[in-house]
Amino acid sequence: MTPHQAAGDRDLVRLLTRLFLRRLVDHDVISPHADRHESLAVLYALTVSLAVFVTFFLSVTYLSAFIQLPGPAALSALSDRFLFIAASITTSALGALMVWDALSLEPRDAAILGPLPISTRTISVAKLAAAVIFGAVLTIALNAVPSVLYPAFLTLNIGGTRGADLLQLIAVHATTVTMAGLFGFFAILAVRGAVRLLVGEGGFRRVSSGLQSLLVVSMVTALLLAPTVRAADVRGWIGVPVEARWPARPVLWFLGVNETLAGHLVAETPIVPPPRFLFVDIPTNEDRAARVAYRALLPRLATLERHAVLSMPLVIGLALATFLWTNRRLPERSAGVPAASRMRAIARRIAERCTEHDPETQAGFFFALQTLTRSAAHRTLLAIAVAVGLTHALMILAQSGRHVFEVHSPPASMFAIGIMSLLSLLIGVGYAVRVPAAPAANWMIRMTWCGDERRYTAGVKRAAIVLVTVLLVLLLPLHLALFGTRIAVLHSLFGLVLAAAALDLLFLFTRTLPFACTYVPIENPKIVWPAGFVSLLLVTYGFARAERWGMETPGKTIACGVALAAIALGVNAIDRLRRQEQRPINFDGRPALATQRLGLFEHVTTHD
Amino acid sequence: MQSGLDARHLTKYYAAIPAIRDFSLTLRPGQVLGLLGPNGSGKSTTVSLLTGLREPSTGEILFDGRNIADYPAEYKARVGYVPEETHLYTFLSGREQLDLIGRLRRLPGDLRTRKIMALLDLFGLTGAADQPISGYSKGMRQKILIISALLHDPDLLILDEPESGLDLAASLVLRHLIPILAARGKMILYSSHVLDYVERLCAEVIVLHRGRIVAQGPVTQLRAMMQRESSLEEIIAQLVTTVDPAGAAREIADVVGQHA
Repeated sequence: MTPHQAAGDRDLVRLLTRLFLRRLVDHDVISPHADRHESLAVLYALTVSLAVFVTFFLSVTYLSAFIQLPGPAALSALSDRFLFIAASITTSALGALMVWDALSLEPRDAAILGPLPISTRTISVAKLAAAVIFGAVLTIALNAVPSVLYPAFLTLNIGGTRGADLLQLIAVHATTVTMAGLFGFFAILAVRGAVRLLVGEGGFRRVSSGLQSLLVVSMVTALLLAPTVRAADVRGWIGVPVEARWPARPVLWFLGVNETLAGHLVAETPIVPPPRFLFVDIPTNEDRAARVAYRALLPRLATLERHAVLSMPLVIGLALATFLWTNRRLPERSAGVPAASRMRAIARRIAERCTEHDPETQAGFFFALQTLTRSAAHRTLLAIAVAVGLTHALMILAQSGRHVFEVHSPPASMFAIGIMSLLSLLIGVGYAVRVPAAPAANWMIRMTWCGDERRYTAGVKRAAIVLVTVLLVLLLPLHLALFGTRIAVLHSLFGLVLAAAALDLLFLFTRTLPFACTYVPIENPKIVWPAGFVSLLLVTYGFARAERWGMETPGKTIACGVALAAIALGVNAIDRLRRQEQRPINFDGRPALATQRLGLFEHVTTHD
Repeated sequence: MQSGLDARHLTKYYAAIPAIRDFSLTLRPGQVLGLLGPNGSGKSTTVSLLTGLREPSTGEILFDGRNIADYPAEYKARVGYVPEETHLYTFLSGREQLDLIGRLRRLPGDLRTRKIMALLDLFGLTGAADQPISGYSKGMRQKILIISALLHDPDLLILDEPESGLDLAASLVLRHLIPILAARGKMILYSSHVLDYVERLCAEVIVLHRGRIVAQGPVTQLRAMMQRESSLEEIIAQLVTTVDPAGAAREIADVVGQHA
């Protein structure tokens, strides 16, 4: 290859990388119909404000202390840094999962670039470069603000901290969380590539969506569990190598990097009280003990650092090698799904019978199941909902490990496991139905719409009940182990009735067509989400207590069952009453413009 | 009450910019009406108004003498529509997509299954019926759209570039199908750029240019109007083309032939 050709190839790679990056952002991260600048600005503002909030929240103790002792600060910073690193790994991994299908050459690449005189190697290198740039920018964007704020807050009241030390702390924090984020991003790329290599192209097409959902559930669960990790847990895990559970280990490796490079800057800072407090009695014993405890952790932290240094090139190497190997040819058009099996045909017939032979109910039922399980956006929403339930379950089970309870009189929190899982799944479904299955294809339902949403919505609700039933079946072994057969079966039945009532309640005020109307964001999310979360906790634990009471005697069980059935029937009756009057569906609902909400331009009218 | 479709003085504005102005048409059972015009002439806007997917800024559309705005669902139940763009639910298979449409159209189970199987077979899609649409070619997607539009035996068919992407065999089938459907009393509005198709299929045409009707009537009448034995292509060229096609073609060939 001549130098001129090599320069031409580099230009081509650069051009294609820009093309792939643009498409990643325009088509895979935000909707192709949305305003890119506005969407990115909102997304970034949301991320930064969340990061700033978490940093402030973690730093309250450091900011409010008149004199911050370096030893205790170094120890308590371990769990803060554990959270920052865990958040960086999981959010970067979630970023990679969000663009899962774009992490390799796709049929659309073959269709657009295939006819051009460009080698497949050039296309795949450009695709890889775009993915890496996306991952790096995402990681840096997520971590930039906390990397500056957290070390500054941590050392604000440690009198002996020098400016150079603070700068070094910031640099090391930024390096560590960026390394951790890249590790998370490349780990997903490596898992994807390795699975594709192992099961082949056809096999990967079959397992891809399931694998993506599983990884989303794992990452969201890890992200939600990270704040529950206490400083004592982190110290325990560092001190005893076998104690740390496997998902926590990569986080500890990067914690090792941070502490080895910059831990001493906090732990070894001399105590310099401010002039006004020169004569105040400083608890130096407490500080000395904390410094000793911290120093004792350093050898183990150095070992963890070595793990991080070894694992980074390993994961990156595996990701790059599997990517280049599996993308050495342009993909062919999708070969399709396997032919309908006998089991699937039987299931379909049963489902058709369950939907009363009414075509619109069947349309709602099947379309809901197909959309929720096959559309990437809807599957991700459900995976997040499942992860919330799973996180709650893990937290309760971890707590219960410290207490022993009778199988026949379990605490209310045990009942809350299943209830929270059910309700979070239903909230996920309730949110997912507001997202159109494919905005560009909405015209099809609008054209075929007969004007009555009741039957279609009834079908969608039945699809949700199928998902609830699957969840209850999956939870049954756990419930059997926790409660014994009688209570486990009753708990599942009560859960099913509760789910029916909750579904009616979720759909009570919506007069849009599930999966077919434009997405209208929730107004005032700052109020709705926290209020919704508190309500979820209140309902879950209120119902768990009622259920626990109901399981005490057969009479109470009947009373509880009757009350629950009455609630379900009552909500259903209200729902039917509200839907008696047929109202037109607003397929093209749009959120009020920000200026309209502020009331600044009320005199301005728009033309359609 | 006159049966058929009557659009009266339709105007549609997008943010104060008129897309079509004072558009009127009449379509009776058994009639095939061609809608012609260059890109940006307002064809797609007209079609979207006639399907009921958009509302006109002024004017009204009557179907069997009733304003379609007063009974949109009943009107849409009698319309079959093939849009210009092949937007479908790509995560569904062809059969699932048609099942969804059939169910929403309230077709009874047995009839729906029978019709879908037969139409998939006749359009040569049986082998791909259970594959996801994401793997379909443009032509296969177009066939799914045509089947979707025909599934419920509509009285009015609105076809926007229906031949786009179809292979030769399917194109020929479509060319024979339209006169048969018209003979069975269907009303057909055929919007296309392929003038040869329109000339063969449509007894009457409407020519749109910059949102206005510039010519309307049977092809023979348009020929008489131009006072010569022209083809439809030549008539359209005279009505709406502002550039010299031969000159433009020569210039394009010259640009293509330029080298460093």
